[in-house]
Amino acid sequence: MSLSQRHLALLLIAPGLILVAALFLYPLGFSLVSAFTRPDGSLTLEWFAKAFELYSTDIVFTIVIVLTSCALTAIAAIAIAGTLTLGENRYIVGTLKALYRWPLFIPFIVAAQCMRTFLAKNGLMNNTFVSMGLIEPLQAVSFLDWRGIIATFVWKQTPFVALLLAGALASIDRATLEAGRSLGASRLRVMFELALPQVMPTLLVALVLSFVTMLSVLSVPMMVSGSQPTMLTVDMAFRINAYGDYATANALGVITYLISAGAAILYLKRGMSQEAPR
Amino acid sequence: MPTELQSGPRSGAAIAVRDLQVAYGGTRVLHGVSLDFAPGSFTALLGSSGCGKTTLLRSLSGFVPVESGSIVVGGKDVAGLPPEKRGMAMVFQSYALWPHMTVLQNIGYGLKLRGKSKAEIAAKVAQMLSFLGLAGYEDRKVTALSGGQRQRVALGRALAIDPGILLLDEPLSNLDAKIRMTMRHEIRAIQQRLGLLAIHVTHDREEAMTMADRLVIMQAGRIAQIGTPEEVYDRPASAFVANFMGAENVLPLNIERGEGRASVTAGGTQATLAGEAAAALPAGEALAYFRDDVARLGAPDAAAAGGDLVVPGTIAARAYPGGTYRYKVAAAGREITVDDADRHELGTTIGLRIPLQRLHIFPASEAGIAA
Repeated sequence: MSLSQRHLALLLIAPGLILVAALFLYPLGFSLVSAFTRPDGSLTLEWFAKAFELYSTDIVFTIVIVLTSCALTAIAAIAIAGTLTLGENRYIVGTLKALYRWPLFIPFIVAAQCMRTFLAKNGLMNNTFVSMGLIEPLQAVSFLDWRGIIATFVWKQTPFVALLLAGALASIDRATLEAGRSLGASRLRVMFELALPQVMPTLLVALVLSFVTMLSVLSVPMMVSGSQPTMLTVDMAFRINAYGDYATANALGVITYLISAGAAILYLKRGMSQEAPR
Repeated sequence: MPTELQSGPRSGAAIAVRDLQVAYGGTRVLHGVSLDFAPGSFTALLGSSGCGKTTLLRSLSGFVPVESGSIVVGGKDVAGLPPEKRGMAMVFQSYALWPHMTVLQNIGYGLKLRGKSKAEIAAKVAQMLSFLGLAGYEDRKVTALSGGQRQRVALGRALAIDPGILLLDEPLSNLDAKIRMTMRHEIRAIQQRLGLLAIHVTHDREEAMTMADRLVIMQAGRIAQIGTPEEVYDRPASAFVANFMGAENVLPLNIERGEGRASVTAGGTQATLAGEAAAALPAGEALAYFRDDVARLGAPDAAAAGGDLVVPGTIAARAYPGGTYRYKVAAAGREITVDDADRHELGTTIGLRIPLQRLHIFPASEAGIAA
């Protein structure tokens, strides 16, 4: 490539690069710096101390919610992708194939609103149970707390993980699954012992991406569960909106970065240990 | 193969297939196939692409649902059972080894499913590996093995569960020519030593001939001929089988039957056959099928000896594949391939000497498809 062509290439990517720098790198650097400095510019861990003092329960709550949601999402996605791959009833497979992707196209805030009407004390779910005679009206309880957040996250993220997983399962050599069955393995064993280990890297990528997505959602904890404890995104919004306390909000942001970095490191480590023996 | 496998010949079950019909989404692939497999026999299902041979094997193994008909194994109809309940082990073209497992885990998986202890599995796998000439490979990753080694591991995995029936779905197609030759003999030897009922799907004629003691030639979802390799090769039942078994030269004939003799005309020349050979010939328009090594090139005016047709022709092309020359000869309105030891120049007029006894002759009305 001649020099002029190189300049031309740089020129072509420049708009994108400037956008990333101005709208992502600069705010990121700015908030990082502001989390570690006082208004006079001196270095401090004061904001982190404050964040831990006020929100340590919420930090644990956030991690537990996101990890539980990831685990449940994985189970649901494996069930869906497994049925799509190894299912033999073409009506069930066809219906599932047509339906399972829908939540992908629904924004988190709409999903949260759906869940509010579904999980509330006098919501669709409890009303259905009452009309079916399964529970008495007085027994109805609201699920609009941590359970509601998890339900929304799992409902919203399952199609995404299932989509990637089903794609990966469709691309493995079908004969490796048939070999297991001809040796006497049931479909369940084929799924867990032969198919899933072959697509583990894909499942892990999908779950790490879901983990990071769920960690950054504000609308769901805000709308579904108004109560304490809540997730870090709500705390950040509160620090800024109620107090204009950007420093503590930025400290909470750094903590969120560290949690998602933990997930990324776990993923990278596994990826490397798998690559090594090959 | 260094060591013997201790388990001796198994009293393998017989398979009886009756009126098997299979369809893929409305397209019928098998049209009522009926076939018996004896315990300890090695059968090759042979045919061109799309003839239904793989579908037949996959419906035996349970991977293709059967529309109607029965598959009786050891007195029990298994046509409705899932693959894992049929007790047949299958070896695949792509080896189908599990990349996340070691050689030990791959071969031992069927035993693990049967609840064997770790020690039992290790012992059986070690025995199997030594039987297959792969002793000490237990802890290797299967991704680190060569093609031939992988297919041996796949064979070991199928054999480890002591199946009475072994299904082979083009297991040698992915191997290079030299290893393929070795594996042919190895699989055949193992099958005989263990007394397995083996069913082998292949499109390679030579592979089927050298491995199997019975060939089933399939054509468009039906069985075209069943017989020993010699029977199918020397006495094809139809023009399709003759053509598929390598008799690719086609010569139009006209046959006039007389008393105890038949007069055969082709390309303006005539020859006469007498006795039994003559009685077997159809009368009227016919097509003769023969292999490249049947005809000889000679002088155009050579006298037709008894039972030989001498058809005049011109050399149209010449190649040297090694050993003999291969010619394309334009004769009787056709292009005929002939192997001959002598070198002839292009455009030379020659006499194509064809011994009538070695032709596979079918009435033109029947043979039309393959011509």
